[in-house]
Amino acid sequence: MQPVRPLLKAIGAFPRSAVFTIGAFVLLGLLAPYIAPHDPNAQDLLIAGQGPTLAHPFGVDHLGRDTLSRLIVAARTSLVGVCLVLVCAHAIGIAIGTIAGYRRGWTDELLMRIVDVGQAIPSLIVSLAVIGIAGVSYWNMILALALAWWPGSARISRAVAVNTMNKPHMEALRVLGASPVRIYFVHLLPTTIGAVLVYATADAGAVALAIATLSFLGLGIQPPTPEWGQMLVDALPYLESDPRQVILPGLTLTLAVIGFNILGEAVALNRVPKPLTSRMLAARRRVTAFWAKEARP
Amino acid sequence: MNNNNEFMRIDRRSFLAGVSKLLGVSALSSILPSIVAASEVKDTLRIAIAKPAGDINPHKYTGLWGVQDLVFEPLVKYGHDGKIEPGLATEWSVEDGGRLLKLTLRKGVTFHDGTPFDAAAVEWNLKRWIGLEANNWMNSSRLYAGTDIVDDDHVNVRFKEPVLGLLQEFAYVRPVRLLSPKSVSGDGSYKAPVGTGPWHQATAGNEGSAFERFDAYWGDKPSFKYLEVKVLPDSRGRMAALRAGDVDLIGGAFVSPLTATEAETLKGAGIDVVIDPGTTTMIMAFNTSRVEALRDPKVRKAINLGIDRAAISQVLYRGLATSTGNLFSETVPYSGKRFDVPRRDTETAKSLLEEAGWVGGPVRQKDGKDLAIELVVSEEQVPGSRSVAEVIQSELQEIGVTLTIRSVDHASRHSDIPERKFDLAFFQTFGAPYEPFGTVVGLFLSTYDNGVDGKLFIDPEHLDPLVLAAMSAPEGEMEAALQKVYDWLHDNDAIAPLLFVPGIWAHAARVKGFQSPATEYDMPYENITLAE
Repeated sequence: MQPVRPLLKAIGAFPRSAVFTIGAFVLLGLLAPYIAPHDPNAQDLLIAGQGPTLAHPFGVDHLGRDTLSRLIVAARTSLVGVCLVLVCAHAIGIAIGTIAGYRRGWTDELLMRIVDVGQAIPSLIVSLAVIGIAGVSYWNMILALALAWWPGSARISRAVAVNTMNKPHMEALRVLGASPVRIYFVHLLPTTIGAVLVYATADAGAVALAIATLSFLGLGIQPPTPEWGQMLVDALPYLESDPRQVILPGLTLTLAVIGFNILGEAVALNRVPKPLTSRMLAARRRVTAFWAKEARP
Repeated sequence: MNNNNEFMRIDRRSFLAGVSKLLGVSALSSILPSIVAASEVKDTLRIAIAKPAGDINPHKYTGLWGVQDLVFEPLVKYGHDGKIEPGLATEWSVEDGGRLLKLTLRKGVTFHDGTPFDAAAVEWNLKRWIGLEANNWMNSSRLYAGTDIVDDDHVNVRFKEPVLGLLQEFAYVRPVRLLSPKSVSGDGSYKAPVGTGPWHQATAGNEGSAFERFDAYWGDKPSFKYLEVKVLPDSRGRMAALRAGDVDLIGGAFVSPLTATEAETLKGAGIDVVIDPGTTTMIMAFNTSRVEALRDPKVRKAINLGIDRAAISQVLYRGLATSTGNLFSETVPYSGKRFDVPRRDTETAKSLLEEAGWVGGPVRQKDGKDLAIELVVSEEQVPGSRSVAEVIQSELQEIGVTLTIRSVDHASRHSDIPERKFDLAFFQTFGAPYEPFGTVVGLFLSTYDNGVDGKLFIDPEHLDPLVLAAMSAPEGEMEAALQKVYDWLHDNDAIAPLLFVPGIWAHAARVKGFQSPATEYDMPYENITLAE
């Protein structure tokens, strides 16, 4: 139970609303196949467009598929998609950002100008272009979004890396003769990743929305895989005759995005350094004393 | 000082009076133009169009058909049920076994700019399109031999060989309609849309175009003085505009498309909706050159039997579309004898697949390969086709066929389909006035290049000879020759006709006497009167 308590404590520090929405979202995503009451792709044209009944508490869509099951399974689609996009985008971004921050000089200039170009073009246009060239498929969508997302991450990681490189302990490491590989992988990269991950959570909502947007345009997740954006566009013709079909996926998407945004904001606020407590101060003193002892011949 | 104060003094009463005067003036000034406008609206038919009319030069392929139809007229018109009716020619006869077209021109017709319509004008117009390479897709242009002016009212057009569907071609919107010879600039290039039609263009732009009645029109003049086409790209926007009274008429495949669901929504809101059975067929194509499995007619038949056409037209087309097993609807000339509409029969479909060697489950296999097929869908090309694809996907899954849906945009569709980068794809026949030969030749003859449309089915060995025979058959044997093509397609399950796409129009209550156009390429302003 020992390692669980600090985790619970950390979660407890987040806004409760975000914890509940994202918790529910992740849980639904993980357990989707077990919770979904029906096969999300099973059609029954005879009951197409039917409102809520006991068998289908949220009603069925225009092809007679159970809306509740589709919403639940779509949570998984979105969750996996968001994670993949963030991992890919931040992998590229952090690599480029830290290299620029470590090397500085012309490498930094060159890489950051590339990032500037990337940031100057709206992400949706970049994704549309990539999909236009590579064709419509799930993996192309992930690739397209990752390629649209990395410049922001590179910019942040470069700032963090530059900041870290200017810290006294980095200077000390260099003076002590630590190899560049050691400085980069052991000291620079972990610090940067930690800081950038904070921004990743804040981005999750935007990525979920981008996936929905691409699917809405028919360029993202292909049928029959349920996806919130796709469900929205399928329901649009029935906006007037049966608003339920539009409202349900719209509401779910809104909730997930708001949850992610609140979470991201909370994480970002938690990262702001707090004044040193006496315990931390004591710990630092112990470390410096240890260095002093080590330095003695 | 005191006096000055007196002058500037603002008490509550004078303030309120001033404000109310100001309000009154501003309200009046905003109402005045709308009073003037209201009297104009009373006499204006406003039609929504999905995209700007563009360059409506009748000899080019750039403009919007419906708008070209307002201004320009053909020599002969395509009427309902394929009857050829008099247009700018009052009489015509096809002689010399189909090599000579004798036309008697209508007297007393002038173009909008006052130029008289006569044999010289006809010859001038013919020269602008007939016999040019760009128009080789039209038989009359490809086989053109020459034009002879007999007198002011009589023209003879000669052809090298008998021309298939000659009169129908002369009823097309483009490139055959007539432009005023005086309207062009010195070097003969097109300048302005000046035709003989009942409407002449007043203004045109990206927001829409405005037309005024041509008071010297030879035929029945429209009962209202103005006609406006407004560009509203989004279908929900068009529906809202119709209900708000900002436009009077929406619909038609090429004017401002309405889906069956939208039509039902409008009907529910008390708007008049007019459904026409339509002359277009929605067909699913099999690409046998790309997928080995589809080369087996049994597999094609199994897929044909796996689709529940009745459910598709009932649920996705709200019962407005008629499901079919035929290439053409009965409203198309020479549409052939009626085949039974294939009924969904999963048992027969499964046993056909077994016979063809596709066994096992849930996905059938043969020689270790899955029976997996890709269906290309372009929502822009055929609205509502994605839902149809999803239904077919789920239905074919039941007989052990895995279908992946690939959504493409309009541009990719126009490159992928002619390049045959599809396993299955949705096609639409061209509809009147291009039928039956537009589709039979354009979509089935493998040697015939039809640009971006692509081919429904290719079989140079068996199908091409039948199509060629139908093309060269004399008038009396044409029907039988065409029937052979239809029979071959049906017997080999070469195509999967799904349904006849209905023509859907919706109009405001002030529009009276609306009638669906004879073809989706025409604008249905005729017979309309505007109530107060």
